[in-house]
Amino acid sequence: MQLAPTRTLTPASRQYLFELLRVTGLALVISLIVAQQSQANTPTIRLFPTTVVEDLRQTSNVAKEMETGLQEVIGRLDQQQQLYLESKCEGAENDPGCQRLSKQLGATYLEMLSIMEERLPDMEHTVNNTRLSLEKRLRSELGNKMTSWTLQETLLGGSAEAPSAPSPSLRGRSGMRLSERFRQYYQLVASSSSKTDQSLAVLASDIYLDMEETSELIARTREEITRATLIEQLNQSFGTITPEMMEIVGGVKSILFGDEATSFQIAGPPPGSIEQAYRSPLEN
Amino acid sequence: MNRITKHRVILGIAILWAGALSSCASSPPPCAGPQTKNVDDAISHVQRSLNNGCAAHFDRFYDDLLTIAEGDPRPENKRRFSEFLVWAADEGILSQRQARDYYNRYFNVKFISMAGDYNNCSHTCPRRDRVMLNMERELSDKERGLLKISLDNTGYYRADELYREVELVLEATCTACIAGN
Repeated sequence: MQLAPTRTLTPASRQYLFELLRVTGLALVISLIVAQQSQANTPTIRLFPTTVVEDLRQTSNVAKEMETGLQEVIGRLDQQQQLYLESKCEGAENDPGCQRLSKQLGATYLEMLSIMEERLPDMEHTVNNTRLSLEKRLRSELGNKMTSWTLQETLLGGSAEAPSAPSPSLRGRSGMRLSERFRQYYQLVASSSSKTDQSLAVLASDIYLDMEETSELIARTREEITRATLIEQLNQSFGTITPEMMEIVGGVKSILFGDEATSFQIAGPPPGSIEQAYRSPLEN
Repeated sequence: MNRITKHRVILGIAILWAGALSSCASSPPPCAGPQTKNVDDAISHVQRSLNNGCAAHFDRFYDDLLTIAEGDPRPENKRRFSEFLVWAADEGILSQRQARDYYNRYFNVKFISMAGDYNNCSHTCPRRDRVMLNMERELSDKERGLLKISLDNTGYYRADELYREVELVLEATCTACIAGN
């Protein structure tokens, strides 16, 4: 009777087998972890594709250019107005010196209107581009792909606990330079890979609504510039400074360079207790 | 003979009526709310009443319990209310969904007013004002449940923040939805 040959493993093949088992085990563990993670992560919402980020960057640059162009003219207007007041020209409009000052002021004012007229179309164009890109994204990602319940869960970020750091209040940045505002938006969005969907949804909404308002404001301003230019050209013939002129300059300054008085904020409520409460089986 | 029988019947009815009236005067009115200030005792009282045919008064009892718990605020109140509602669902007084709604409306950060199965553009946006009004009312109930009854400041402030975020995001989303039509 012939015995079947005993199958023994050489030390080399045994080591190979162990290596194979180790690698297979490791691969299994990794695939389990990946599967778990992909289950845990809710589908990412795409609110800021590169096109939107680029639009924001461009808007910031255009705003910066407009501010730079206007800064010098507005500075000159301030000086001329100061001189006009210090020379006690109010009520002495027929004085030849005052008439000269008044004409200079009017000419600088026209220069400001002309710079705005020249730069605003670019500004309007880039703001509208950003607004439209965001509008499309919001409609598709939050409007059509989500229910009110999933939107709420996205905003809560998967847990009903308070966020570790309080998020800044974004609306109402009137006390800030236009370019600074867009620069901040750009920075917030550009570093959005580290942000959760929760804050991205709020950020996208905030920027979109701001763009809506800015867009309307620019359109209205462009209409007004035509009218104001005509009126000032007529005023040049009479050499008078209208209160409207000063009002418009003031308005432009507050839009472009911010208003100090609006930066004051009332403190928020005190932070809540850290104690973590009971979780009911009835919770959604 | 017939006349005597009639008198006896009238007398019997009068005695029964007087008896019924006297028993009404001495016992508490049916389905009365809890009189104690102790939350556990109040819950026990309500459980007995609900089991004795007063299930139709659930809303009033729940409000009574919330009022009593406001007088003794503590984090454990969340568990007490949860257990009471689970009991009510087990006893068949509430459906599971009703029990969840009663709990979540007062003690959870999430808003049950934001429940919906259809997309926001077609369903939430056309009734955004109503949704926000319902959320505002629910936030006031959460103030009662989270802040005043359970001392869960963190939870309440998160709910308040969530309300403001939903308001902002819905305003933007609905404007975008309308622009796309």
